Amino acid sequence: MIRGTLHRIALLTKRELKEMGSRPLYLFCIIIAPLFCYIFFTTLMGNGLPTDMPVGVVDPDNTTTTRNIIRNLDAFQQTQITAHYPTVTEAREAMQRGEIYAFYYIPEGTTEKTLSSRQPTVSFYTNNSLLIAGSLLYKDLRTMSELAGGAVGRATLYAKGATENQAMAFLQPIVIDAHALNNPWLNYSVYLCNAILPGILMLLIFMVTIYSIGSEVKNGTAQTWMRIANNNINMALTGKLLPQTILFFIMAAFYNVYLYGYLHFPCNSGIFPMLLAALLMVLASQAFGIFLYGLFPALRLALSAASLWGVVSFSISGFSFPVMAMNPALQALCNLFPLRHYFLIYVDQALNGYPMAYAWESYIALLVFVMLPLFILKRLHKAILYYPYMP
Amino acid sequence: MKKVRSRHKIAEGLNDLFYIWREEFSNVLKDQGVLIFFFLVPLAYPILYAFIYTNETVREVPVVAVDHSHSTLSRKFLRDADASPDIHVIAYCADLEEAKDIMRKKGAYGTIYIPAHFSDDIAKGIQTQVQIYCDMSGLLYYKAILSTCTDVSLEMNRQIKISRLGNTTDKQDEVSTQPILYENVALFNPQNGFASFLIPAVLILIIQQTLLLGIGLSAGTARENNRFKDLVPLNRRYHGTLRIVLGKSLVYFMIYLLMGTYILCAVPKMFNLVQIAQANVLFTFIIPYLSACIFFAMTASIAIRNRETCMLIFVFTSLPLLFISGISWPGAAVPPFWKYFSWLFPSTFGINGFIRINSMGATLPEILFEYRALWLQTGIYFLTTCWVYRHQILLSQKHGGAQN
Repeated sequence: MIRGTLHRIALLTKRELKEMGSRPLYLFCIIIAPLFCYIFFTTLMGNGLPTDMPVGVVDPDNTTTTRNIIRNLDAFQQTQITAHYPTVTEAREAMQRGEIYAFYYIPEGTTEKTLSSRQPTVSFYTNNSLLIAGSLLYKDLRTMSELAGGAVGRATLYAKGATENQAMAFLQPIVIDAHALNNPWLNYSVYLCNAILPGILMLLIFMVTIYSIGSEVKNGTAQTWMRIANNNINMALTGKLLPQTILFFIMAAFYNVYLYGYLHFPCNSGIFPMLLAALLMVLASQAFGIFLYGLFPALRLALSAASLWGVVSFSISGFSFPVMAMNPALQALCNLFPLRHYFLIYVDQALNGYPMAYAWESYIALLVFVMLPLFILKRLHKAILYYPYMP
Repeated sequence: MKKVRSRHKIAEGLNDLFYIWREEFSNVLKDQGVLIFFFLVPLAYPILYAFIYTNETVREVPVVAVDHSHSTLSRKFLRDADASPDIHVIAYCADLEEAKDIMRKKGAYGTIYIPAHFSDDIAKGIQTQVQIYCDMSGLLYYKAILSTCTDVSLEMNRQIKISRLGNTTDKQDEVSTQPILYENVALFNPQNGFASFLIPAVLILIIQQTLLLGIGLSAGTARENNRFKDLVPLNRRYHGTLRIVLGKSLVYFMIYLLMGTYILCAVPKMFNLVQIAQANVLFTFIIPYLSACIFFAMTASIAIRNRETCMLIFVFTSLPLLFISGISWPGAAVPPFWKYFSWLFPSTFGINGFIRINSMGATLPEILFEYRALWLQTGIYFLTTCWVYRHQILLSQKHGGAQN
């Protein structure tokens, strides 16, 4: 009995491997597309944190003091002074042309007013329609502005005979010492790639699973498929999807090795919980694909649903924009996306290195996704055997 | 004689063009799949995205406080932090271990730790430190916690300085604590919102991606329905390259003029996003964008052999295309190789141009580079489209000839 089952599964697997070998589409979706995305995202954000972003200066005052401020600003890691503009209007136009992300404006008479204690105002303009560049530069420009004021105060204090410690304690009695836990470099690649790469893989798994089931119906080979499986839907699915499970797991394991082993992204839990999560992720995504096909037994509809789910999961999983800031309805809805649970596992395990027990809910949630096909197996069986292909 | 023949030829060409145009139009309207990509997705996706990001920014990030100083000053620090819009102190813990435990259970995303010597240091005139620990699962948490604590510390520093200085007038207080005032002007997105930043890029991308999917789908269908799996049917009227390319693209162009108006004008309005575009500039810019996208999609559709494969091939590209455009990841930090690579896609120029027009109020001179690039792409992709269709016509004729 068991030998018979194994034999049939082996037959199905072989049949599927032949099918996969004959169509470049599978090669593209299982190997090339994920590999391209791994390399693309990690090299695109290879710097970790953007550095030397172009900033303009409008300095009609043009004194030793203001030039000093500008030089200091240029020395900041993320800021690079690329141009001087005679007026604010011209700087604004340069910003609209996309040449600079921000500019610093020091009006005429700033030095004179500072020296005569008349409290001049300097300003900086950040382009916040490019949010990341805008916020990073905001930090630099603001620090510089604080320091510019402080420099004047420090000079006064030194003149009065204060030591450096005394001067700093007077100017900044309280300082904030920030600890960005487990990503002290504020590395965007660490922050985004850990969720984007599995997200892409999930999207492709949904689609490939649906496509390989649906094309049996489309090509009219479903009867043969079922006959080999002795008309047992469980066996048919297992045999058919097993090669894909293995290939996708290899791809998932590969990005784990690539991110944590080669690029040395934080992996404080050790690799095994992440490999377990990767396996669960592959199974959950395949199961979700089967579920979608059972729900919409038409190739095109199921693929459309998978695209919707896969693409929306990048936004709703909360790695770029936190779930807690979303509408309450969406906060509940985000649980229906496997990427959300994978992301929570990653945060607890690889990023923060908490014991597995803290992430148990997310592991269970992925397991629930793995169970999903059970609800639609009967319907799916009927759909595969009797429903005609719908263009 | 020759003149008459050429005039006849033009008339025939135009006739065929409109015949193909009508055929393609009815194909689009008859095909549920294409309808979904051309109408349903552009109608619904922007609304869904805007809905996800509509709160713009994160408020009241839960944090825990560990106050070992137990002093008036430390309590003031925590009170002020709690009073800010961005963070919310949910618990006061006895020690860091307790705070860590709450963070592990995701009750809080940060800890503010005030050391025992905090108030003493200030009284003695020594610089003191407040430690903050942030969960890095989301950068917005970090940003909220860090910027709030920095603001609170700067304000408290100011007050401490004033009390030490013993000035006589308010003006003196002001000048001695802040010899140089500064102000920040957050241009073009004053609330620092996520929706105002990301949605415009997504809107432009939706146009290109739905065109890729829709045109890819109909190309796949054509191949499945035509004999010999050719893209171009064996039909007397499908002989001229220009007729086919222009007839088909005209259909897509008309549909997307309509959808584009909805996506680029109505959606930002519905969600109160930044929208300071000048109508004529936007219109002038969108024409080459749509044309470039249509010809790009028609060229790319050559790769599609089956009706459904377009989804497997095109859908996942949305995310890389969004990142490579230089919106979410600053363009200045995109490595040169990927920068040149990105020039292959109309969406790169479309996104950059549209954000500048729509969110920054740019006019044509400011987006000249993108504008020209899009026209150039239109030209190049038009030629490649003609070339691949020419090839397909010859192929179908060969198949037809072989059959006869």
